[in-house]
Amino acid sequence: MMDLRLFKDFLASLSQVFPVNFDFRDVKGQVLFSGNKKVSLPVSRGLETVGGQVTRKESFQYLRIEDKYDLFGMPILDKGQVVGVLTACDTGFEHDVSGPKIYPAHHMEQLLTHLAGLIEDKLSSLDESEALAEELAQSFEDLNLYARIATQVKTLRFSPAKLDELNKDLLESMRVQMAFAFMPNRSEYNSLITTGEIDAKITESSAFIEALINAIPPDAPALVDNYFIVNNSSQTPGYQKMHREPFRFLGVRIQYGGKFYGWLGMVSFNLKEIFRQGEMHLLISVAQQVALVISNSDLYRDLESFVINVCKSLVYAIEAKDAYTRGHSERVNRCCMLMAEHLDLDAEQQNVLNWASILHDVGKIGTPESILNKPDKLTDAEYEIIKAHPLKGYNILLPLEQLADSLPGILYHHERYDGRGYPQGLQGEEIPLYARIIAVADTFDAISSKRAYRSAKPGKEALNIIKEAAGSQFDPGLVEIFETVFHTSLVEEEQQDNTPTSITLQA
Amino acid sequence: MTETHAKKILVIDDDAPIRRVIEVKLKNRGYQVITAKDGQQGLDYIYSHKPDAVVTDINMPLLNGDKLCRLTDKLKEKRPFLTLVITARISPEERAWVQKMRDTQLMEKPFSPARLVECIDAYFKRQSS
Repeated sequence: MMDLRLFKDFLASLSQVFPVNFDFRDVKGQVLFSGNKKVSLPVSRGLETVGGQVTRKESFQYLRIEDKYDLFGMPILDKGQVVGVLTACDTGFEHDVSGPKIYPAHHMEQLLTHLAGLIEDKLSSLDESEALAEELAQSFEDLNLYARIATQVKTLRFSPAKLDELNKDLLESMRVQMAFAFMPNRSEYNSLITTGEIDAKITESSAFIEALINAIPPDAPALVDNYFIVNNSSQTPGYQKMHREPFRFLGVRIQYGGKFYGWLGMVSFNLKEIFRQGEMHLLISVAQQVALVISNSDLYRDLESFVINVCKSLVYAIEAKDAYTRGHSERVNRCCMLMAEHLDLDAEQQNVLNWASILHDVGKIGTPESILNKPDKLTDAEYEIIKAHPLKGYNILLPLEQLADSLPGILYHHERYDGRGYPQGLQGEEIPLYARIIAVADTFDAISSKRAYRSAKPGKEALNIIKEAAGSQFDPGLVEIFETVFHTSLVEEEQQDNTPTSITLQA
Repeated sequence: MTETHAKKILVIDDDAPIRRVIEVKLKNRGYQVITAKDGQQGLDYIYSHKPDAVVTDINMPLLNGDKLCRLTDKLKEKRPFLTLVITARISPEERAWVQKMRDTQLMEKPFSPARLVECIDAYFKRQSS
């Protein structure tokens, strides 16, 4: 029973002032509170009888016992149901034997009607407040879900895994048995989360989802607002034969800026609940968010691949100038990435090294072809021009913000561990790690491939030259790692294919 | 209606609708619920009603939720109870002071009422085992 403390006090006071005892019992006859006046056993039994009658007949009852005690009962209704009985009995006799002053029964009926009305009012306002609180609680759930989803999709690179998480959240919060994203042209984003119970009912889930979407009539009015609802499949044309058990289905369009990606939807076999307005609106905004991030993610990817292609073009430009270094950048890149695997570099660091190694010789674009392809020994002046290529490369790439972290690797890839390199003569650990890695890979490839001024040396011989230079030209730790890479990966490739130039750029 | 055995939860929030939402959710779950409309009243009720769990907002008139936690932390030595702090944003600083309090947990706004109830259920379950 709900909170009726106020009435308890009120009825207790009334019982004090008037020669009447009020009490309040539930439909099982249990007295929940009573006006504190002693009543005789017959009276108390009589009240029980009255209570029972009121509950059965659902109306005001009056009973007189022992020819003098007047007993009254009035039902308390809540949503048309008797939830309790307000009873009253005359107590005048207990104190004053001389004269019974009986209230006419209809007066008592009026009084009890008013009291019952007050209690019913209180009950229904409590009900209403509780219903409102529940509704508010549901809005809180929606808000919470929305906040979680907003955090999840607030990422530049949207991934199919994120959609799975999103569907998991939707499944739990909306108490449905199936939540899915269906994008016919972007099937990498297709996602389906179900509860165990539905797996038993639907074996061919993807076919089922496709059927759900295909059955949406193209002229359905709700489609103007980008959604479609089936509250009971057994009563919706096109959906009757999809499953022998009736289900409900809500689908919303994943759409942004006129671009349509697919559908976000949910299915439940629980027909006791329906899709609420709030849920529908929530799902529509979630679908919009999803479309927005997919669209942003696409844009970001386009931009990224544009930068990648620009960089590739730069590499091809140098290689077009210098016939001998064709494939050099790719081989150095490959060797660096193999070394990175042994260096515990994270994905971000690997990405930085990737670009630094591919682009390390971009500065040679500014070196005359006559010098690059010169078969004889270079003059001091020509050598100075060659030595300028790391700085030129650095300057060429400076405007590309995305490559900012890779620039030190390019600028310093001709520094020597003993400090006798160029352009700055950095020493030991002063040289950025990426530059130290590139130095090893770059030199190895230069020795083991054909150059204008000499022929190629076999890999083993090149390795020995590198090992001899550990500590002077190269970081000794990295030389060790290079040796491992050489034995595990490079030597095999050399045996398989004697023309290492055939390795192609992968990115 | 065996409310005598039901755990007693004190809900402290200056926002009446939020108070009501939590109250209804907890009552429907079978808990006995008392509510306080600010930190000072909350503090008084912690002493007078000895609740088994407290749900409190942070920014409130008269006495803030974090101050309330510090003031009542010592009580938990003798009589442990859960304090669930609802906050607008979980910051590292907030995490730091909450960690120093006994039996105190954070929940971020907008919170899910269902999860709040689960969280309290879980605390009593841990306690009884």
